[in-house]
Amino acid sequence: MSIDISKMRNIGISAHIDSGKTTLSERILFYCNKIHAIHEVRGKDGVGAVMDGMELERERGITIQSASTQVQWKDYTINVIDTPGHVDFTIEVERSLRVLDGAILVLCSVGGVQSQSITVDRQLKRYHVPRIAFINKCDRTGANPLRVRMQLREKLGLNAYMMQLPIGLEDKLEGVVDLVTMKAFYYEGESGTEMRIAEIPAHLVADAKKYREELLDAASMFSDDLAEAYLEGAETEDMIHAAVRKGTLAEQFVPVFLGSAYKNKGIQSMLDGVTRYLPDPSEVRNIALDLDKNEEQVVLSYEEKLPTVALGFKLEDGKYGQLTYVRIYQGQIKKGDELYNTRARKRFKVGRLVRMNSSEMQDINEGVPGDIVALFGIECASGDTFCGGGLNYAMSSMFVPNPVIDLSITPKDKKSSDQMAKALNRFTKEDPTFHCYVDPESNQTIIQGMGELHLEVYVERMKREYNCEVETGKPQVAYREAITQRAEFNYTHKKQTGGSGQYGRVAGFIEPIEEKDYEFVDAIKGGSIPNEYIPSCDKGFKESLKKGALIGFPIVGLRATINDGASHPVDSSDIAFQLASIGGFREAYMKAKPAILEPIMKVSIEGPQEFQGNIFGLINQRRGIILSSTEDDTFTRVDSEVPLSEMFGFSTILRSSTQGKAEYSMEFAKYGKVPNAVAETLIKEYEAKRKAEQK
Amino acid sequence: MVKQDLIERSPVRNFEKSLGGGVKPGEIGVIASKKGLGKTSILVQLGIDKLLQGSSVVHVSFNQQANHVMTWYEDIFNELAKKKNLDKAADVKAELVSKRIVLNFNQDSVKTVQVIKTIKALAEGGSKPEAIIIDGYDFTKALPESMDQMKSFAKELQIAIWYSANIESSDKGLPSCLKAFEKDLDVVLFLDPKNDCIQIKVLKEHGKADYSTDLKLDVKTLLIADK
Repeated sequence: MSIDISKMRNIGISAHIDSGKTTLSERILFYCNKIHAIHEVRGKDGVGAVMDGMELERERGITIQSASTQVQWKDYTINVIDTPGHVDFTIEVERSLRVLDGAILVLCSVGGVQSQSITVDRQLKRYHVPRIAFINKCDRTGANPLRVRMQLREKLGLNAYMMQLPIGLEDKLEGVVDLVTMKAFYYEGESGTEMRIAEIPAHLVADAKKYREELLDAASMFSDDLAEAYLEGAETEDMIHAAVRKGTLAEQFVPVFLGSAYKNKGIQSMLDGVTRYLPDPSEVRNIALDLDKNEEQVVLSYEEKLPTVALGFKLEDGKYGQLTYVRIYQGQIKKGDELYNTRARKRFKVGRLVRMNSSEMQDINEGVPGDIVALFGIECASGDTFCGGGLNYAMSSMFVPNPVIDLSITPKDKKSSDQMAKALNRFTKEDPTFHCYVDPESNQTIIQGMGELHLEVYVERMKREYNCEVETGKPQVAYREAITQRAEFNYTHKKQTGGSGQYGRVAGFIEPIEEKDYEFVDAIKGGSIPNEYIPSCDKGFKESLKKGALIGFPIVGLRATINDGASHPVDSSDIAFQLASIGGFREAYMKAKPAILEPIMKVSIEGPQEFQGNIFGLINQRRGIILSSTEDDTFTRVDSEVPLSEMFGFSTILRSSTQGKAEYSMEFAKYGKVPNAVAETLIKEYEAKRKAEQK
Repeated sequence: MVKQDLIERSPVRNFEKSLGGGVKPGEIGVIASKKGLGKTSILVQLGIDKLLQGSSVVHVSFNQQANHVMTWYEDIFNELAKKKNLDKAADVKAELVSKRIVLNFNQDSVKTVQVIKTIKALAEGGSKPEAIIIDGYDFTKALPESMDQMKSFAKELQIAIWYSANIESSDKGLPSCLKAFEKDLDVVLFLDPKNDCIQIKVLKEHGKADYSTDLKLDVKTLLIADK
């Protein structure tokens, strides 16, 4: 079966938590006739939505992992990629965005553009994903889609225009007025499957004319044909569609649809919007890096005949082994093909090839360019590129933030400890922001991630999926140390008592740098240190950076320069120069006035205006800086920078001081200097801990 | 140049001197002109000057998103730092940012009392500003009592407040939209575009009225020109 690429769409659904994204995904599947009954996310009927694969998600009512599902809408094939809504899982969101060609930005008609919508929209912008907006929950009390449209413009700076107007709102929502055809659409029958097209109700005609005019004025910017025809009053539906599509693909126009997924209103029209205005895979320029040519950029083309280039963007551990979701960018993948994993530098054979309809799968023989398929039993990590025909490409590296929080975990019993290793191995492969290591001093396993909730979810998953119970320590902020000024060293390492001796002298200086974590400069003249020992010096400094003398955290932003030294014809060795460098570093480090750095988070808090004072107070109590605050008559949003160490347990405190009406989102902003008073406490704690360990 | 020199040699010193000390704590000043002549630029320069001196500043914007306002500060600071070759510019900038709070309101739905309430909430939380910059406020829509409220708030907390006002033209005396509030306004300036520069004229300054100054804006950078 060959699929016409212009009839293919890879779309994601991006939204703020609780704006009804999973319900919407469910309805899309339903209308595309893939599942037979509609289930609610929170499992009122005990079945639960199909898109949320994991039990845990079902329990919390949020979607954590993205699954890709293929559906047919009219004669179009749509791959729907469900993306997680919580900001702690943004790597999941970002990874999904990489494989999307277009997105539906879902907004709540009451909540409007919320803090997370802003984060999600920023991500869409970063990956240049064209989008349409869907204002959901128009059946809720206080629904105001036109206000949300204004927020799309004001808060997100999007050129958003209504494609529809609501017929009735809140519990009177009946359908929508389509501003292109100038007809009223009603969604009737059980589950809204019967779409009735009628004349626009008389009381809405004036409004419909006004908004259509607005829409056409804006759309005319993208098409001269439409502009001309519009002047003569001869515009056709096709012209409008073409102009809106052009603007949307250029990311300069956002068509706004509305409805209620829960009440089955407006979904079909939105699906038409997806097929009409979002791009097919060939309309998106994708670039790979040629690893054989020093990462030169190569534009990929959706030709079946060309060698395969595909990206594994998502791993899932199923009953039958590891399932890898793959987006094909060029060429095709056939059963029995041999592909090359360019990161692992390994060849593998394509065994079973499937297409996912959520938890049900369908065996297929080949995947075409632009498609999303899943491979069985491939050993790989998420984000790996697979190539055929001798290519050695990598899809451009994705932006991966460093983890900011550490948590120690200890298995409760022997069985758990075996399972723990398995689970951690899996999680680190799935999620590049999740790290783990064994601390050589305490012999404890440390997991690292992007926030408290991020790590909590993995601890939960260990329990549920791997039957592995662990005890967790107190979350620990990932501090860094950095020097603030230049300092010199001149150190001689000497051990010449019996046996083979050790001798090495190293002199030079260390200084702070901004661009890099570490740099080594060899400024030795006249060979006072023989060339063969220079790498040993570098190694000695690198070793020293792993653990700062203040509180034992890694040192960043340092350049070490060596400019003099001495060696001994017999007693000098690799290890002697390594130790000399370590000694030299120790000598200079305290002189270079080291400081402790801590992760500073960008925290956006949003809530009713009456709690504004409380919100300001909460930020100030946490050593936070208020950057800005935006208010209208009811809502206020405060943007601030707060040290991560002060953010533990914040959700509970925020909830209790705002009657649960405020919410926040948080992401890593930068590393900043810890104030002296706090630094002193940290240093004291570290010293006390070290003393205790020595006893 | 170090920070102290930047403060001492700032054209804002001359600006204040020419205006009988400028706008002092508890007073209100207004910069009026047509669109696009540099009102926001002057306000941001005044804000940066206060911030450099270690004061806290609240910048209220009715017409621009908070991040646009931040970009204004960023651009003007960079311009100043480059022009004067400032030492440790990045550190100084970080310090400024930590003392500045940007507030963004929609004038259609937010009254002056609410603006005052928000700033009071900030003050109670420990971030009391010494100066407030209010940009994009539409005086033609202002409620009659709003300036009285602002003035007594300024006096109560001893804060200097600068507004900008959009006006079409000015012959002698105060423009019509500011007339009603005359008693609350201590300084009113008018930007008058000339061929090679933008002249700052005084419409009212404490007891005095209608005189011209040697204060100018550079047309390219919209910075207050050095003497």
